[in-house]
Amino acid sequence: MRHRQLRRQLLTAVVAVTGAALVLTGCAGPAAKPTPDADASLRVGLVLEPSDLNIRSTSGAALDQILIDNVYQGLVSRTEDNTIVDTLAKSHEISEDGLTYTFVLRDGVTFHDGAKLTAADVVDSITQVQQNPTFVDNVALQKVASVTAVDDSTVQLSLTAPDSNLLWTLTGRAGLVLETGADNDLSTTANGTGPFTLKTWKQGDSITFERNDDYWGDAPAVKEVVFSYIPDAASAVNATLAGELDVQTALDANLKDQITRADGFSITEGKTTDKYTLAFNNQRAPLNDPLVRQALRTAIDHAAIVEAVGGAAVEQFGPIPELDPGYENLSELVSYDPAAAKALLAQAGQENLSLTLTIPSFYGTSVANVLVSEFKAIGVTLTVKSVEFPTWLNDVYTNKDYDLSYVNHVESRDFQNWANPNYYFGYDNAQVQSLYAESVAATDPAVAAQKLKEAAYLVSKDNAADWLYTAITLTVVRDGVTGFPVNSVNARINLAKVAVTG
Amino acid sequence: MTRFLLTRLVLLLVGLLAASALIFFTIRVLPGDVAQVIAGTDATPERVAAIREQLGLGQPVVVQYVDWLGGLLRGDLGTSLITGTPVASELVEKAQVTLPLGVMALVIALAFSVPLGVLAALRRKRPTGTAISFVSQGLAAVPVVWAGMMLVLLFAVVLGWLPAQGFPRAGWNDPLAAIRALLLPALTIGIVEGAVLLRFVRSAALDAIGQDYVRTAAAKGLTRQQALIRHGLPNVALSVVTVLGLQIAGLIVGSVIIEQLFTLPGIGRMLVADVGNRDLVKVQGELLVLTGVVLVIGAVVDVVHRLVDPRLRERERTS
Repeated sequence: MRHRQLRRQLLTAVVAVTGAALVLTGCAGPAAKPTPDADASLRVGLVLEPSDLNIRSTSGAALDQILIDNVYQGLVSRTEDNTIVDTLAKSHEISEDGLTYTFVLRDGVTFHDGAKLTAADVVDSITQVQQNPTFVDNVALQKVASVTAVDDSTVQLSLTAPDSNLLWTLTGRAGLVLETGADNDLSTTANGTGPFTLKTWKQGDSITFERNDDYWGDAPAVKEVVFSYIPDAASAVNATLAGELDVQTALDANLKDQITRADGFSITEGKTTDKYTLAFNNQRAPLNDPLVRQALRTAIDHAAIVEAVGGAAVEQFGPIPELDPGYENLSELVSYDPAAAKALLAQAGQENLSLTLTIPSFYGTSVANVLVSEFKAIGVTLTVKSVEFPTWLNDVYTNKDYDLSYVNHVESRDFQNWANPNYYFGYDNAQVQSLYAESVAATDPAVAAQKLKEAAYLVSKDNAADWLYTAITLTVVRDGVTGFPVNSVNARINLAKVAVTG
Repeated sequence: MTRFLLTRLVLLLVGLLAASALIFFTIRVLPGDVAQVIAGTDATPERVAAIREQLGLGQPVVVQYVDWLGGLLRGDLGTSLITGTPVASELVEKAQVTLPLGVMALVIALAFSVPLGVLAALRRKRPTGTAISFVSQGLAAVPVVWAGMMLVLLFAVVLGWLPAQGFPRAGWNDPLAAIRALLLPALTIGIVEGAVLLRFVRSAALDAIGQDYVRTAAAKGLTRQQALIRHGLPNVALSVVTVLGLQIAGLIVGSVIIEQLFTLPGIGRMLVADVGNRDLVKVQGELLVLTGVVLVIGAVVDVVHRLVDPRLRERERTS
C-alpha cells in the first residue's frame, strides 16, 4: 500500500515535472517576446524643425518627414523603398491612354475631428492644390484637367496629357486629403486621417503626436511620440547616451564611435535619395565650357569625400539615385585623375582658374576643404563662401549668382531640374529635355524609367554637375524599440509599425 | 532728482526710437526673404511672387516701418510672417526659459565671484590670491561652448545626475525638472561670466583697500579685513552693479549660444531660427525687446547709482 502510494506520488511528480517542462518549452517562444507597451511614449530626436506646420503652403522636407503618413494621408503613399501603395484609396486604376485615373475610396475613414471622409473632400483637396499658386506642388498638377466625384466612393482625375509622375506626385503633398469644411489653423494644428493626431507643437522645442484611437487601420502600438529637435550633432549624441531619446535620427557618422562604445543601442544604415550635388553654373564662364566642367569632375576623388563625411555615403555618378526609377551605375563616366584634369584645363586655356564655392553654412566645411585641396592640385583656386541658407536661396537659387554650389537635394524623383534650363543649375540640353518629356508622356512605367536612364546618362556625360555622394542615413535605436523605418528617414518617418517593449 | 529722472526717461525713449529704426532697417539688408524660405528649393518664381504678395511684402519699407511703430505704440509687436502667431505671446513663452536661465546664471556668477574676488584682493600677495587670480583668468578665457560640453560630459553622460539637453514639456508645471534642466546651462554661463566678474571685484576691492577711508578705519583699530568689509564693500558693490549692467548684454549673447547647445526653447534659440527663416517681423520684435531690456537696465543702474552714491547728488547740487 505504502509502496503503491509512493509510486503514485512519484508518478505524479514525474507527470508534473514533464508537464511543467512542456509548458515552459511550449510557452518559451511567445513568452520570450515581450508584448509591446501600449502606453509607451517614444522619444525621437530629429535635426531640422519645421518653421510652420502648414502642409499646403510651407515647403520643406521637415514637414513631410513627420506629418505625411502619420497625421495626413493621401490616396496613395510611398513605402520607405519608394514603391507606391494605396492608402485612402482601396484601389486605383489608370486608363490605357494614361488620361484617366480612377480611385476607389476606402470605407470608414474619419478625420481626427470625427467627420467622415467623403469623395467631396478628396475632390476639393486636389482641386485646391491645382488652383492655388501658393500651394506646394501646385505646378506638379498642371496636367490635371479636372477632378470629379463619380459617386460617393469614387474619384476620377482627368488629364490633358499623360503624366508618368502623377501617381508619385500624389504620394506627396498634392495628394493629401484634408477636410473641406474644417477651418482649423493649418500653421499650428492638423486635422488629418492618419494613425496619429498632432497634439502639441512647442515651437523651438518639440512636436508631440498621440495615438488616434479611431484610426481606420491598425492602431499604432505606441501611445505617444515626441519629436525633439536637436540641431547640434554632439548634443544629440549626448542626449542619446544620457537616455533621453529612444531613437536618434541623422547621426553624424563622425560621432558614431561614441554610440558603438556604449551598450544598449543599435545603429541602422538606410538608403536615401539625399544627393549632395556640386552644382556648376552651366550658364556662366568658365563653367559653360564642357572641358572645364570635365576637368573639375576628373579632379575629385569621391572616395576621399565619402571618407570626409565619416563613410556614411555611397559614391554617385549621375543625377538619379539608386532608390529612384532610371538609376544605373554611371561610374564609367568619371574617374579620378588629377593629371588628366590638368591637361583638360590646359586644353581649355584655363590654367589659372579662380572659382568660388557658395555653400549654406549648416553643411560644415569638411567636404568643401577636400574640394579646395583637390582643386588646388590641378591649379584651381577655390574660395569657399559659407552663407546662411536664405542668402543661398537668394543669391544662388534665385539670382543664379554663383560659380559652384553644394547642397543636398533631398527630394526623390527630381530629375525635372535637369530638364529645366531656368533652374539654378542652368543646364540646357534639348536632347535631355525631350527625353524627359517622353518619359513623362510614357504610359508604361518601364518606358518612363528607360527614358530617364538615357537622359541621366547624358546629364552625367555632359558633366552638368558633380554628384559628390548620396548619403546613407544612420539612425540610433535603443534596444527595445522595433519597427522604426530604416530608409529615407529624412523624407518620411512612417511610425505605423513602431513598438516599444520595455 | 525729478529733473534727473525725467531727463533719463526722455533719453530712454529716444534710445528706444533710435533702436527701432536701426533694427528695422538693418535687418532688411539681409539677403533673401521669407517668401523664398517658405517656397523652398523646388519653387518656381511665380510661386515665390504669389507668397510675397499674400504676405504683403510688396509695401514700401517706410510704410512698413510706420505701421510697425504704430503697432508698437498700441503695445502690439506684430505677428509672425510664417505662422501668424503674435510675437508678444511667443516672447512671453520663451522668456519662461531665458529669464530664469539668466537669473540663475547671474546668481551663480555672483555667488562665487564676490566672495572670491574680495578674498583674492585681501590675499593678493599670498598663494590663495594668486591661485584665485590665475584660475579666474583661465576660466574667463574658456569658450562658453567648450565649457558647456565638458559639463554635459561630466554631469549628464558620465554621472547621469542632470539632463544633457532639453526642457521638460510640462515647463514650470514641473518645477523640479525645469530647474534641473536649467542647472547645467546656468552653471556654464555662470562660471564664465562669474570669472570675468571676479576680476572686476578683485580690482575694485584692491582699489578700495588703497583708499584713505579704509586706512582711517584701520587706524581706528579695525583690521584691514574688517575695514574693507564694512567701509569698502559698498563701494565695491557700486562698481559691481555698473559692470553687471554691462554684462546683461553679454548674458543675452551667451544665452543664444547656450540655448543652442542645450536645445532649450528660449528667446536665443528662437531668434536664431527666426533670422534663419527671415521672419523679419518676429526678429525685429525680439531684438527691440532685448534692446529695451538692456536700455532699461542701463537706466536703472544710473538711477541706483544716483540713490546710493551721495557724491553724485552732491556734485549736482554744487554745479
